Formats: sequence, C-alpha cells, structure tokens
Amino acid sequence: MYNDFAPILIFSVLSVAFIVIALFLQKILAPSNKGDLKSSIYECGEEIEIDARAQFNIRFYVVALIFLIFDVEVVLLFPWAVVFKDLGLVAFIEMLIFLGILTIGLVAVWRRGDLDWVKMEIPYALGRYANLDQAGSHDSAVEPGRD
Amino acid sequence: MASLESYLFISLILFCLGLYAVMTRRNGVAVLMGIELILNAANLNLVAFNRFGGLAEHLPGQVFALFVIVMAASEAAVALAIIINLYKTFATVNVDEAHEMKW
Amino acid sequence: MTNLQSTAYFLPELLITGFAVLIVLIDVFIGRAGRNRVIWTLSLTAVVVVGVALYVQPVPGEALFYGSLAADPFSRFFKWIFLLATAIIYFISPYTRQLKDTAQNEYYLFLLLVMLGMFLMASALDLIIIYLSIEIVSIGSFVLAGFLKSDRLSNESSLKYVIYGAFSSGIMLYGLTLLFGLAGSTSIFDVQEALANLPQGSELMALVALVMILVGFGYKISMVPFHFWTPDVYQGAPTTITAYLSVAPKAAGFALLLRVLGITFGADPSIPWEEWVPLTGLPFGVLIAVFAALTMTIGNVLAIQQDSVKRMLAYSSVAHAGYMLMAVTLMNAQALQAIMFYLAVYLFMNLGAFVVAIVVHNQFGYDDIDDWKGLGFKIPLIAVPMGIFLFGLTGLPPTAGFIGKVYLFAVLIAAKQFWWLAVVGVLNSVVSLYYYMRILKVMFMDGEPVDKTVSDHPAMTATVLALMVPVLLLGVYWSPLLELIRSSLRIFSPGL
Repeated sequence: MYNDFAPILIFSVLSVAFIVIALFLQKILAPSNKGDLKSSIYECGEEIEIDARAQFNIRFYVVALIFLIFDVEVVLLFPWAVVFKDLGLVAFIEMLIFLGILTIGLVAVWRRGDLDWVKMEIPYALGRYANLDQAGSHDSAVEPGRD
Repeated sequence: MASLESYLFISLILFCLGLYAVMTRRNGVAVLMGIELILNAANLNLVAFNRFGGLAEHLPGQVFALFVIVMAASEAAVALAIIINLYKTFATVNVDEAHEMKW
Repeated sequence: MTNLQSTAYFLPELLITGFAVLIVLIDVFIGRAGRNRVIWTLSLTAVVVVGVALYVQPVPGEALFYGSLAADPFSRFFKWIFLLATAIIYFISPYTRQLKDTAQNEYYLFLLLVMLGMFLMASALDLIIIYLSIEIVSIGSFVLAGFLKSDRLSNESSLKYVIYGAFSSGIMLYGLTLLFGLAGSTSIFDVQEALANLPQGSELMALVALVMILVGFGYKISMVPFHFWTPDVYQGAPTTITAYLSVAPKAAGFALLLRVLGITFGADPSIPWEEWVPLTGLPFGVLIAVFAALTMTIGNVLAIQQDSVKRMLAYSSVAHAGYMLMAVTLMNAQALQAIMFYLAVYLFMNLGAFVVAIVVHNQFGYDDIDDWKGLGFKIPLIAVPMGIFLFGLTGLPPTAGFIGKVYLFAVLIAAKQFWWLAVVGVLNSVVSLYYYMRILKVMFMDGEPVDKTVSDHPAMTATVLALMVPVLLLGVYWSPLLELIRSSLRIFSPGL
C-alpha cells in the first residue's frame, strides 16, 4: 500500500548506523582514565552527602504495579463497547469471561495480602480485626509464613 | 504537514531514541523506559498506517495498538517486579552490576 | 469461522486456560499444607486432559476466529511436543532439590500459561496473535527464570532475560507494524500478497521488515547474534526451567518461524511447501545461511571453554538452533520434515541431559563439571543414559541424533545448494564432539571407582531411562515418527 518508504528507510538505516558508529568510536577514541581525583567534585563544589534520588518505599511499587495491570486491562473494553451492539449476546458473554478472569486475579492478589499497606500476618478477610487492638493477643491468629 | 511520512518520521525518531536508551543506560528502569519508547513508536506506526491507509472502517491498526499497550503494561509490570527483586538481592538497580555469570 | 464455531476446535487452549484459573483459585482457597501436592496433581491432570482434547480434536477446513488461528496438523504436531515437554517437567519438579522450599503454585501456573502461549505460537496466522503469543511465552518465562527469589544467579538471569526479551520483541513489533503498513491488514496471507506485489525497488523495505522480525524470532530460538541471554538465563534459572526453555519455546519459535516466514516471504502461499521459493529479489536463503553458520560456530566454540555444565548445554542448544536453521534456508517440504524430526529427537536428548544435570545437582552440588567426576561409578544407572544423550547430541550412531542430523544435511545436499553451509555444519559437529566427550570422560575416566553406588529418587531414574528409550529406538527404527511428521506437513492456507 505504501511503497514510497525509501527516504524513511534510508534515514532509519543511517540513524541506526549512526548510533552504532558513535558508540563504537567513543569506545576506541575516548581516553578512559578514571580516578578518584577525576571523578571528584570540581573545586568549590560541595561534597555529596546522600544520593540525590531519594528512594521511595518499595510498597509504592507493588501497589503501582497492581494498579497498572488492572488499569490497562480496561483498555480492552473500549473496542468491545464500540461494536457491542452489532455482536450481541456472544460478545457480552465473552467479555464477562474476560472480566471474570481479571476478577479472579484481583481476588488472588487480595488474598495474598499484596494490597495491604502494612503486610499483616493476620489475614483481613477471615474476620480477625477484633483481635487487633489487644496487644499480643494475635499470636494465635497468625497463619505461619503466608507470603 | 499531516502526512503519513511525518508520522513515520516521528515514530522512527522515537524508535531510535528507545534503541539508544536501551544500549546506553545502566539503570534498569531507564532501560525499560527505552523499551517503552520502542513499543510506542510501533503504536504510532500502527495508528498512522490505519489513519492514512483508508482502513477507517475496520480499525485493525487501532486494535493492534490497544493490544500492544496492554502487553507493554504487563511486560513493564513483570520487569519492574524483577528489578525490585534484583534490588533486594543485589542492592542495585544497575543492570551492569549484576554480573555473576561471565562467558 | 466465527468465534462461537471456533471454540469447538479451540478446546485444548480453552482447557489450559480453565485449569490455570483453577490453579489460581486453589492457590487462594487452600491452606499451605499439602498445597504443592494438590497443585502438582492438578497440573499433571491438566496435561493429560489437554492431551486427550488434542487427540480427539477434528481438523477444521477454515482458520479459526475470523482467520487468526490455524488448527492444522502442522500446529498439532508442535502442540504434542509442547505437551510432552511440559508433562516431563511437571513430573520431575517435585523431586528437584532446588525447588524444595518454594511455594510451587506459581511455578506450575506459569508453566501452564507458557504452554498456552506456545500453542498459540504454533498456530498464529495474524500479526496480532504472533506478537501476543510470543509475549505470553516470554513473560511467563521471565517469571520462571527468576523463580528462586533469593538466589542471586536466578535474579540475574531473569533480569537479563527480561531486558533482552522485551527489547527484541519490541524490535520485532516494529517490523510487524511495517508489514502491517505495507498490507493494510494483519493477516499474514494479506501481507504475503502485498509483499509479492511490491513495485520494483521496494525490496529493501521487505528486507528490513524481515530482519526486524528475525530479531524477535531469533531471540526465541536463540540464534546468534540474538543469543546473548541464552547462557546466562540457562545457567541461572532453576534447572527444570532451563530444561524446559531449551526444548519447548525453541520448538515454538521454529514453528512460528517456519509458518510465518514461509508464508509471508514465500513467492506463493498456494503452493507453499513442496517447492518453496522466496519472494523474488529477497536474499532469504543467503541471509538465513549466514545466521545459521554464525549460530553453529559461535555456539560450539564458546561451549568448549565452559566449566558449568548447564552453561555448556546452553551453548550447545545455541549450536543446535544453528543446525536446524541450516534447513530453514531452503524451507521446502523436506526441510520442514527434517526440522520437525530433529526437534522431536532433540526434545528427548536435551531433556534427558538436563534431567541428569538435575540428578547431579540433587546429589553432589551445583553444576560445576568437577561435580560430575566419577559419576559413572557412583550412579551408573544415570551416567550410562547420559552418555547416550551426549552421543545423540553429537550426532553419533546408533542414536536418534544421528538420524536427525542426516536428515538436516540431506536437505542441503539434495537441493545442491549451500554446500559451504553443510561443510560448516560437519566441522561444527566435530568441534562439538570435544566438549560432549569431555563430560563423558569426566564421568567415566576421572575419579576413583567406588564400592557404594548412590541412588536418586526412583522417579528421576525412571524419567532418565524413559527418555533414553526413544533416543535409542528412534536411532534404529524411526519410520513411525517420520510417517507422523509426513502426515503433519499440512500447513493451513486459504487457497488449499
């Protein structure tokens, strides 16, 4: 359908070649004499105290990952919604199955405790909230080693 | 300006940037960002071809792009989980510092 | 064929999905005690049930799901390979020391999902399915490679795997979008038509798309220069997963490569396989031949200097991809037959070698070649089959590996093309003799003879012996397998 790719193609080949050549050239041409002095901060600069990139709590990542998955899967609903009227019941059932599998995934994540901000040894879903405020009393409710 | 070529050109730039990021970055998360750029370049291609190819009726390109988005998200999720795990064992997210195995 | 009609021919895949959901549910609702056992039993049941469904499944006259999947005999043959590999890995997993203290629910789940992805790979007729199936297999494999969460090697291997995997599938995707742009359709038959009618001077476009797609496929079959992940992933991943990755996804990659490249870059899909010729102006054969020669040589040369047996077998698996690529250069019916035969034989030989590696790991330590010293005296029941697997991998008679290699070389010789490639192949087989025989020497010549023999779990010994039988049997009586492959050489095409 589109056959006049030639300029773009040439550009693409050239640009890939450029990357490779640039990387290669800098490898052989650039002198590499790393030393403490060279990598130290220039003259009046301040010595670094801590890493500038403060680290987030790792729990943010876990929650973000779970959110990402369930958020993006919804994208697949859009094309379905557009043609839903024409396809009828079969499409409806297909989407129900799709959402059902997603829900099972959500249940699995929930039950494993990955949604908890503070990972409780006591599974929420088992109705053991009552014991929480009695200090030390949750020993009996601990399910050993649930990860 | 809105011709197919201009879209392909942008997508190509994105692709090359992604390629460059993957090849030069040490930080695992930055490498992943490069991979996302490549995937989005492909998405742009798909949508542009669909728009200018007179395929407005069936939208195969758009559907393909949606699948790519979903796949990219799952891939990113797995990759980030692996990098988090790497951080737990190696205490680094730099891909070149995990080199226990050689040749 | 509409979606509802297709489900009748899609039963194996639907069953796999159903069992996967069931495993998730069991994981959620059954307590930790005895869960591994329940899920193991369920997974083995799943493989058996899927096998039955695959056996009784009829062959449809049309493509499934509006032309996106084929359920032809060709894909069925590969599905048997995947099923067999998965079954063997499932069977030995509980007896593997590496996996002893892990919660194995996800392990079994992801193996099942990877199998689903491979089923789709073997039958993809649509660019979207090609990308999705490769990604399903890849993402599952990333998780499996890093399954030993606190093991540094396992972590490193899954990191390298995810980066190489995502990168190469991204490049492949870019190539697929170029094909989509040329054809205006995601069906590979439409792509073929568009490529066949390219105006003069646009072949370069097709060539670039071909190379980009080869990056993705090449990564799956670990073709040089897209093999860099292979040794690290194979060494670091749990050995059962290494064994799995070395046979099943490789076979799936070849299935996809043969079908997709054969159709899209063939001159005419209606006479595809008897006398396949590439699109005019496309140096298909030469391109693949160069890759094949590189793959064989680099795989074998780097295997020589390895002291880790898993890493050595990883490079050997790269080399074997090269042997099979030799036949891809011609892509005719004879080549397909040779590749399918070799993949079937390779399944037994390579799985066998890795199962032996697992036994050694269970008994003596990680996987340094020194751990293998005197194995012939300590566990003769394991060491002798290992010798046979190594003979097979080298391609020596009377094993099935010899027959497989003869067929591969016969493709080139019968076509009277690419003589140099056949010569490279023979030279490489000689090189491979060196490192395979090194293991053999360590097992039988080094180390003191001991009075006491060690024995592993009988299930492992039984698996090793069971894998040895086909390697020997197919070396002397291979016509049934050849018949099966000949009847499986029907690849779906709308014109047929």
